[in-house]
Order: sequence, then structure tokens, then C-alpha cells
Amino acid sequence: MAEKANKNNKKKGKWTRRAFMLTGGVIGGGLLVGIGGNMYVNKKIKEYTGTGFGDGSSLNAWIRIAADNTITLAVPRSEMGQGVYTSVPMLIAEELEVDMKSVKVIHPQAESPYANTQLVAGSPRDVHSGFNIMEKVASFLPVVATGGSTTITDGFDNLRIVGATAREALIQAAADKWNVGTDDCYAESAFVHNKKTKEKISYGALAEAASAIEIKGIPTLKKQKDFKILGKPVQRLDIPEKVTGAAQFGLDARPDNMLFAAIKHASYHDGKINSISNQTDIEKMAGVKKVILLPEGIGAVVVADNTWRAKNAALALDFEEEGNDTLSSEEIAKLQEETIANNIIATPLDKGNVDEVFENSDQVIEAKYNVPYLAHACMEPINCTVLVDNDKAEAWVGHQGTSLVVNAINQATGVKKANIKTNITYLGGGFGRRAEIDMVLNAAHVANEMKGTPIQLVYTREEAMRHEMYRPAVASNFKAVVNKDGTIEAWENKMALQSVFYSSIMRIMPAMAEPPEKDPTSIEGAANLPYDIKNNRVAFGQLDLPIQVGNWRSVGSSQNAFFTESFIDECAQAADQDPYEFRKNKIQTKPRFLAVLNKVAEMSNWKTPLPEGKYRGIALHESFGSIVAQVAEISTQGENEFKIDNVYCVIDCGRIVNPDTIEAQMQSGIVFGLSAALYGEITFANGEVEQYNFPQYDMVRMNVAPVVKVHIMEVDEYPGGVGEPGTPPIAPALTNAIFAATGKRVRSLPLMKHGYKFV
Amino acid sequence: MELKINGKTHSVEVEPGMPLLWVIRDELNMTGTKYGCGVSACGSCTVMIDGVATRTCTFPASAAEGKEIKTIEGIAAAGQLSAVQKAWIQHQVPQCGYCQSGMIMAAESLLDQNPNPTDEDINKSMTNICRCGTYQRIRAAIHTAAKMRAEQSGLQG
Repeated sequence: MAEKANKNNKKKGKWTRRAFMLTGGVIGGGLLVGIGGNMYVNKKIKEYTGTGFGDGSSLNAWIRIAADNTITLAVPRSEMGQGVYTSVPMLIAEELEVDMKSVKVIHPQAESPYANTQLVAGSPRDVHSGFNIMEKVASFLPVVATGGSTTITDGFDNLRIVGATAREALIQAAADKWNVGTDDCYAESAFVHNKKTKEKISYGALAEAASAIEIKGIPTLKKQKDFKILGKPVQRLDIPEKVTGAAQFGLDARPDNMLFAAIKHASYHDGKINSISNQTDIEKMAGVKKVILLPEGIGAVVVADNTWRAKNAALALDFEEEGNDTLSSEEIAKLQEETIANNIIATPLDKGNVDEVFENSDQVIEAKYNVPYLAHACMEPINCTVLVDNDKAEAWVGHQGTSLVVNAINQATGVKKANIKTNITYLGGGFGRRAEIDMVLNAAHVANEMKGTPIQLVYTREEAMRHEMYRPAVASNFKAVVNKDGTIEAWENKMALQSVFYSSIMRIMPAMAEPPEKDPTSIEGAANLPYDIKNNRVAFGQLDLPIQVGNWRSVGSSQNAFFTESFIDECAQAADQDPYEFRKNKIQTKPRFLAVLNKVAEMSNWKTPLPEGKYRGIALHESFGSIVAQVAEISTQGENEFKIDNVYCVIDCGRIVNPDTIEAQMQSGIVFGLSAALYGEITFANGEVEQYNFPQYDMVRMNVAPVVKVHIMEVDEYPGGVGEPGTPPIAPALTNAIFAATGKRVRSLPLMKHGYKFV
Repeated sequence: MELKINGKTHSVEVEPGMPLLWVIRDELNMTGTKYGCGVSACGSCTVMIDGVATRTCTFPASAAEGKEIKTIEGIAAAGQLSAVQKAWIQHQVPQCGYCQSGMIMAAESLLDQNPNPTDEDINKSMTNICRCGTYQRIRAAIHTAAKMRAEQSGLQG
């Protein structure tokens, strides 16, 4: 099996076509922080060539103001529910001195000023500073993309500078007009006011003159106490059209003469279709226009006059195909054990001498944990619409990476990048899946075969679930020695998994790939624990399997928080200490962690015993620059049956942009993590995924969703992300509560598999 | 066949077994109603047929002939958002927003039948999936919409 898997994987090197992505879970040392000023502002005012960016004069690549004072802001990040179509304008509007109500948002083309340097260079997570992969990527190309909870961490200073620079240009334009100094003017609610004469001129009337003014240097930014917008709950700009059905998602694109297409992938992962046995029959089906075998036989597409006909015809396709038809979840579990025993490839953390402690102790505790593959299961099934016409192309797609869409169309069709227009729609969920480019490559290939006709390619729910880039299955084996006073003398964590980073970079840009041992995502949330641990080793081995793995909301932390925060509870148990007190004693020198943990204990009345039949568990985890602690409170309903009554959630994400969005993202991340903890499991048998649709891969619904109470710490530090950090702690908080209830330690997910029910 | 949607009659030529969802989306280009699973498991495709919330991805279009079909595009009367829609904005419910058309239709139908639902009533009737996990805010918005509706009917009565 292992040999077969290896052979399959080698093929991947040639698979430039089935390429790649770039999103969450990257690293580094803050290489480009502070680049702001010039790159973002001065030069780009002149260089901007964007199209479809409202009427009026551009003050820079982000801001256009029309004569009637309509203010259009470019938001080059993708709105997938996390609120960036509101938080990005908030950052600009604060300094520009305009009201949020007067702001309109457009998604611009993929152009260099919009590059997400934080995403590429890495979030401020110092534990990985030894790696340089993303720094290499960052220097290579400007990636306009959304992921890794980086919109605010990338934009917090830069976007305020964007707004402030434009404001200064508008003030200068007014001062020139009045023939006064800029000190005699101030900006407020989209007008420049003359302090002496009390006259005012609208931004709209000043925009043309202001667009010719170059502001040198970086203007002084407002102090936090003067903020009018930032830190206040702001109504989201995208919500009104999301309650009327008017909001446009990728699947809602309806360019003239569009045809509908559905894909059927090769059955086996990394398999190949040699031929379609019943192509002639399929072509005769009602409404079918064309059947196309995709390059390298990765799948086939049926083009028809509506989705219903296309998907029925695609379902009826018969393939003559080859691939790994023996792969099974049991074999993968066996391989994980072998890998941990014999094939550790990297030890990113090895402090002190754990072996010596283990040798000299008769109190070594050991535990083996594992989690399964997970699908993203975005509500909007995966899709992409592409038109190729002569030497031009246009795409309509909800995607996390505007520039990745352009690259993929160029790669699939040969159309020059400058001739490719993107229409980035709302994303019906992203979670990392919509940073992949397979849907773009496939749609572009079909559109290129049918030039002049826009093609909307959809993956049915079944195709989307059975053929994607999963969160990897991971095994994590722990050993520890805990002293009677609760000191963790030694801690060892050996993991086996497929490298998310390697798998995804091989799909997007194989030339940039580094070997899996350099993968930072494998150990994120495992090697950067906040706790005082005297001797500490974290190591991992790599599984070579024909399964594509990718970034799944919170990436490495999605599994590592479950592993480490459960095993910390086991250590507390070994020392016969309260789980909260045990953690608290180990973060005395980390004031931000301590404050978050204490606050969640206070909110949940941790020190007050619960009434009979109610239990609680606690977890603390840092990811994407933010610290989150959660307490899950459950009540017994019957034999192995629980209700999750409340989740108390405290986040320290540094300075606050939109508190309502932070609360929403905590609630969201928790439900997302709960769906995985309770039900989520993608399994393999005979080389195929066994789950097809929601009946086999269920989600938390209204009846199971807990009441989530969120507290946001007020901390004057640079902002961290909020889209992902809510997810990691919920699984261990819940399983620690189940331990409190049952005395049984849950060491693998999902809980459904162990017979636990939730009502 | 002829379908009456949001008060307007549409004539379409499709197979009788074609699910109503695809007629609405692909033949009539009314894209507010969403495709989520195709097996009536998620509720993204919910519309009201003769006042009853119905998952249309498995509901044959022919079975909707002669009935009153109401979609998300049809619930704001004369440009006025419904109480449910207003409550959805007040509570800032949607995140990605993809499931929300179906959620709103299910909530409208619930409140038509049960003007003052308890949490338990909401649990039983709101079984749609929201991958962003907006359930807590949906619950709060339904309670608010129930109050708004009661106030409106009080004013009218």
C-alpha cells in the first residue's frame, strides 16, 4: 500500500495543472509589517489601472469619490461571511472622515497594490521563525487573496494610511482653493471645513483636484480615543441584500447565453479516467450540448442547457479508469502508527532532554489521539463561471484569491493575464476550500473548448464532498511526566499526518514547494503552547497518500488544539488538580493568556460547583495572533446523551475593529468546530470517500447549537485575526466536559462514533 | 407548464419531474433561492407553496402547478421588508448569507402558523443547515419578528 501511494504521489510533481492555493496557516516573522506608507499610497495613486470602480476621481487604488459625494471603496478581500466588506471600509472611513452609511463597496481586479503581504509573509506567530518558505513566496509575487485570518492584521495600519493620505490630499485641495494653510482646514463627514470662514466644500467637489496631489510621507494616524467608527459595533454593509435574495453568489451569475455544466470526478483519489464508455449515449440526453474529458483524466464535464440536465447526465457517465482502489481508513490509521514509530521527519521543538526525564521516571503518562479527514462542506456548492472569447476571458466566481483566479485561467487557456477580468462575487462559505483553484481550472478548460459561451460549472454536493482538499486525518501520541506539585517535567508529542502546506503548494505553485518537513501548518497550535513545560519535544512524520489535503478553517490548530488541550487536562488529572488552576499556574508569565483564562473562569462561574447533571470543560488556545479561551457547559439528558447548554468564550484579538463581527465570528467558529467534533468524518474504503452528502456528513443545527456568550478583551495591542481562532478550543472544551460527566477521556473524534448523542 | 410565482404566472417548458428549484433558478433566473444539497437535507432551497415551507430541490415542478409559490424575492411587500427581514437585519444574522433565503422562508412559514413560537417550537421547525453557525441570532431574530408582527397586526386591528 505504502509503495503504491508513493508511486501515486510522484505523479503529482508533473501535475502542474491540478495546481495550488494559498490561504490560512502560514507563518513567519512579520517580514513586511510596516511596508505600508509608500507602497500602499503614493506610487499607487498614479499606477492604478483598475476598471469597474465606480464613477468619479480616484484618490488612490482604494478610494473613488464622485461629484455627488458618492464614495466607492475597493475591498480587495473576499466576503465569505467574516465581514470584510464592512471591516475594510471601517479602517479607511475612520481616517478618510466619511460616514459608513455613505460608503459603497466594490471588489477590484487583482492588482499589485491589493496584495495581502501578511498572508504571504505570515501572521505574527514567532514559534515558526525558523521557516522561510513564505518569505520566499512573498518576495516573488503579490498575491491578492483572503485567508489565514489576515485581512485585519494585514490592513490595520495600511488601510488607515490609505484613508489618511486621501484625507490629507482633500484638505490640501480645499486649502489651495481657499488660499489658506492646511492648518486652517479640517475634514468631517465627507466635507472639508474652513475653520475661519466656516465655509465647507464636499469631497465630491474636491476629488478631481485632490487626485493630482501627492502626499509625501505617512500622515499622522488618529489616536484610539478619537475613533468614531473603529471599535464600535457597525452594521454590516452586505446584510441588507442578503435578506432579500439579491446578493450575488458565484452560482447566481447569469451572463447572456450561459450554459450549465456539471463535473464527475475520477472515482479514485489521484486516479485517472482513460475514456468515457458511454459518451455517445450521454450526448443524446435531453439538453446536453457537449461532453468533455478533462486533462489528465481527472474528471469529465457535461455541458447542458440547465443544471438539472447537466448533473443528471454527469451522474450517468461511465468511466474506464485507473487508480488506487484499495485505500482505506484502516490502512491510513495503520500507516500513522508506523510513521510515528519509525519515520519522524522533523522535530521543530526539542527543549531540554525529554528522554532523560522519561527514563528516570516511573510516572510517565501516555495517550494516543487521532482525528479524521474533514470536508469543508461550504453551503454553496463549489462552482465557477468562465467565458473565453478570442483573446479575452472573464470569470464570475466567489473565490478567496482574486489573483489565483487570474493565474488559473491563464494556465488553463493561455489568455494573457492582462486580458482576464474577474467578477468576485460573495462566497457561500470559504473556510479554505475557495482558495483552491481546481474549480477555476476546470471551468476555464471547458470554456476554452466552447469559446464565446459562458460556462457555469458546478460540483454537485456529492462531487464537492467526495473530491476535495480535506483537513488531514492526524494521529498525535503524547508522553508526559507531571510532578506532584503540578509541574510538567517533560512533554512529548509525536504526530503523523499529511502536510497541508506541501499538498496545497504543490497544487498552486509547485516551483515554490519545500519538503513536508518544513511544513509550519503541521505543528501550529502544537509547538507554541503558552504553558511552562521544562522539557518539551514536538515532532512529526509525513504520510505519503494519494489524498489531497488543504487548509480547513484554523488549519493545524483545528486538530492540535483538541490534542494538546485534552492532554493538558490529562496532566491536570494526573496531578489531581483543577483543570483551570492547573493551566493558570503555567501561564503566570504570560499576562494576556492569564487574563483571558481568568475572564472565562469568571464568566462561567468556574469556581462555583454546577448543579447535579451539569458539567463543564475548559480550553485555551492561541491561533492567528489571537488568544481564545472557552468553557463548554453540558447537561446529561440520558445515557451518553447531552445537551450543550452554554459556551463561554473570551477572545483577546488586540485592538478591536468591529465588536459585533468579532462576536459573530466566535459564535460561528464554535458551531463550525462543534459540527466537526460531533459528526465530522470523511472515511475511505476501496479508494473512495464513503460520505456523499449531509445525511452522511451531518452538521450542527438549531436544536443542538449552544448559547454562546462572548467577551472581547480590551487590549491595546496590534490586532489578531478573528475568522479562525474561535474554532480550535471548542472540541477540547466539550470533550473535557464529557470527561467531567463520564470519567471517560475522549481521544478521537467525532463523538458520534463513540455513541455520544447531542440534543 | 404554468407556475404562479410571487403573484406572477410564468410559462415554462420542462420535464414534469424537474425539481422546482431548477425551474426557478435556471429557467426563470430567479437566483435568490439556493441549491445546497439536492436531497432535501439542508433547506437552502426552501420556498412557500400555498403557505407551507417546502424544500424544492426534490419537489417536482409539475406538483406546484396551480399553486401559489412564494420565493425570497416575493416577501417584501411593495418594497417594504417583512418583519422577518427587518429582524434579520436588526440582529445582524447573515454571515456568508447563502443559507439565509431558505432560513427566512422557513421562519416566515413558522410565524404564519405559530405567531409566538417557543424555543422548542423553533428547534422543531427550523431544521435548515447554516454552515456559518448563525443559529443563535436566527433564534433571537424570530422572537423579534414575532413581536413586530404582533405589533403590526395590533395596529391594523
